[in-house]
Amino acid sequence: MELETDVVSHASGSARLRLANTDILVGVKTEIDIPKPDKPDSGKIEFFVDCSANATPEFEGRGGEQLANSISNMMQKAYHSAEAFNLKQLCIFEGKQCWKLYIDILILECGGNLCDAVSLAVKAALFNTRIPFVKAALMDGGNIDLQLSDDPFDSKLLDVGTAPLLVTLCKIGDKCVVDPSAEEENCSVISLIVGVTGNKRHYYPNHTDKQCTESKCTTIGMNGPGSVVSKTLKDAIKQGIVAAKSLDEALGQALLKERQQNIGMKKHSYGFLK
Amino acid sequence: MPLDYRRFNGPEDSVSYKRYTNKYYKGYDELYKELVDDKGRRKDGRALDEARSMCMFFARTDLISQAKGSAYIELKKTKVVCSVFDPREIPHQNEFSQLGQLYCEVKFAPFSCAQQRRPHVDAEDKSLSVALRQALEPTVCRHLFPNYQVDVFVYILEHDGACLAAAINAAGLALANASVPMYDIITSSSVAIIGKKVFVDPTEAEEHLAMMSPETEGTNHGIITMSMLSELKQVSDFVQIGSMDIECVTEAMDILEKECENIVPNIQKVLVHNVVQSFNQRKQLEAEAKEREIALNVKMEEWKKLLNAG
Amino acid sequence: MAEIYKLIHPLKYFNDYISREIRPDGRKFHECRNIKLNVNSLKTAEASAVVKCGNTTVVCGIQLELASPKAEEPDFGYLVTNLELPALCSSKYRPGPPSDHAQVTNYLVSNIIVNSKCIDLKDLCIVPDKLAWVLYCDMVCLDNDGSLVDACIIALISSLKTLRLPTVTYDAETEDINVDPDIRTPLKVYGLPVATSFSVYKLPERDILITDPSIYEEEMCGGIGSNFIVCSNQSLLCGTQKFGGSNLPPESQEEALKISRDRANVVEKVIETCLANNCEINEI
Repeated sequence: MELETDVVSHASGSARLRLANTDILVGVKTEIDIPKPDKPDSGKIEFFVDCSANATPEFEGRGGEQLANSISNMMQKAYHSAEAFNLKQLCIFEGKQCWKLYIDILILECGGNLCDAVSLAVKAALFNTRIPFVKAALMDGGNIDLQLSDDPFDSKLLDVGTAPLLVTLCKIGDKCVVDPSAEEENCSVISLIVGVTGNKRHYYPNHTDKQCTESKCTTIGMNGPGSVVSKTLKDAIKQGIVAAKSLDEALGQALLKERQQNIGMKKHSYGFLK
Repeated sequence: MPLDYRRFNGPEDSVSYKRYTNKYYKGYDELYKELVDDKGRRKDGRALDEARSMCMFFARTDLISQAKGSAYIELKKTKVVCSVFDPREIPHQNEFSQLGQLYCEVKFAPFSCAQQRRPHVDAEDKSLSVALRQALEPTVCRHLFPNYQVDVFVYILEHDGACLAAAINAAGLALANASVPMYDIITSSSVAIIGKKVFVDPTEAEEHLAMMSPETEGTNHGIITMSMLSELKQVSDFVQIGSMDIECVTEAMDILEKECENIVPNIQKVLVHNVVQSFNQRKQLEAEAKEREIALNVKMEEWKKLLNAG
Repeated sequence: MAEIYKLIHPLKYFNDYISREIRPDGRKFHECRNIKLNVNSLKTAEASAVVKCGNTTVVCGIQLELASPKAEEPDFGYLVTNLELPALCSSKYRPGPPSDHAQVTNYLVSNIIVNSKCIDLKDLCIVPDKLAWVLYCDMVCLDNDGSLVDACIIALISSLKTLRLPTVTYDAETEDINVDPDIRTPLKVYGLPVATSFSVYKLPERDILITDPSIYEEEMCGGIGSNFIVCSNQSLLCGTQKFGGSNLPPESQEEALKISRDRANVVEKVIETCLANNCEINEI
């Protein structure tokens, strides 16, 4: 697996992930918006998936639309809970202004296991997202005038430690397979997608809060025309959580290493975008 | 959002009057207190683990004359209509498909929720449609109508929780009513989880709170909907959203499995009633036909006599 | 046997019935189908009604919103009526945006309500230029078996008649709005428009007028949407409509007007009885 962050200079945060033949680019855009009336202290997050027609011949025309919809739907569900991603950190001024994150996911090449790859790339991109500090706010009647800091380094990072990772399990025969390739996906009639919250410790080494070490399911969904026995389903969920835990740890270490390199010196970059 | 000129539009800045009532803003704790009283009873008098399937369940078929099969399901206030049409060729498809397709669409009536719903299809409609298709596909014998598609339309008239479960139940019943071959009766149920409490077959208020994130970290919350083919013991769809630990999920699965089985007799009753009714109808028609035949024969004899005499 | 005959020779099948002075469903030419009406069965809507005319089923729900009135009409409220024909109500509709037929019927229903002046939009204004009620009246057809407009009007009028508006207090200085949903006043409905649909079938020797046609009869008589619709409001004629289809001889018109007047009386009684029953239930 290959992961790069900060590949798009115009985005607030970005990441590119290559997992076997699957290639994904994620960009995070920030915008100021008005919070929803029933959640005045929360920001907003939205996912857009674009399946490039080059990714696989099936995506030509409108073929990728359904897949794109189901992935963005899955991501939206996974990020719904505050346990997974706390939207309160996006609040600027309660009831008046908040940040809205647009997460654009571009699927460049499709080689199986899209959901997992997308969730990894999104988490990496969010980890690198910088949100400018608000310097001053002027109240003018009911309107608020915000003054943002001009210095791009004068910004805060988001807390994404608990952001969920999706794990796809394909049922082939009686067993469930983690990280299926495109061929394996074709063989199975049903796959299960489990969204599991991450562990803060892997992303913030000096984080000492013991409470949130437990992984939780944020979303579970099934995909494909088949069905499963409930026992298999239970086992698969457990298997998914174990897989997600190790994946989360590896991602955390990789991201931290990359960040340190960034601080130390100009990053040695490879890959096609640089 | 561009204006839709195919419908009449109201003013753009209109807001529901409920926002200006005193009771509009409520905190999490306040809402939580409202759901369950001191004796552990829910607002509508049910116990926590009591589903509406037992006492407040109403189902019938054959209410839409234009459809091949139709069903209506009512769970107290949740009201769902479903209709199924004759198979038709899959539109816009060049390749031959070995298996028949199911086209599912779930729609909310504009007045189905406390807030007005705009008529265009939104993300919730879409995700419910996908979930419905996922749930129904394993139960329909799709190899029997290759290259054809069966349309399943669900319309939610009133939403008071568990609408996906109600939609799946209604669709299963409508498919059976349309005599689409199926492997098993499909039933579905949902639970809402708030902390340690498990609300079986939740109402809208309970679902709303379960989707809200509690103040204290680490509390379980969320909604699970599961659909089952009870006789075959297969789970055809499982949708979970929120945040909960694995013990909580498995526990909820056991509850749901039992609940899905509880609904089966209800569905069976409606289906059996259908068969008996159509059987009786047929018998009556046959009797009438026989009567007519006898009358005709009598007339024939008379004419013959007249002819012979003349 | 009869079903097969109907499939192969639809026109001849229909002809056979009509020439024997009876309709395929056993009704006489001017016999209407039974009307079933139920009000306030949906709790999420402020007012609602379910109507069944034979098989044709229409549900109407009203939701209330507040908005500032239009600048050019500062003392008028809004009445927004919409008819939805979802794909589930007939095999002829496809999912997606409203079809031409749905749009035309939608216009027709709205025209009848506006022209009959049964709602005074000034009643919906709370504070001129500042605040007015918006009545979203959404009608949904669950089963389209002909004479759709008739059922829509019944559903709409019955739900408007049961609608009770909450009290609103508006502070002119602070522009604060406060709504008390416990104290409500009924909305004034002036008159009671009732629509009656007719289809015209051309036999070689004469034209036949069919009252309250089913969808099959509509199709035989020149296609869906070509009904002759007469709207009467408390024995006054308040509008007629005819789009395409077979032409209508003058003597049939006279006949239609008379029938529609009688039917309006029947429908009025149905609505009144239903509302009275509903009131009784509420009081108990």
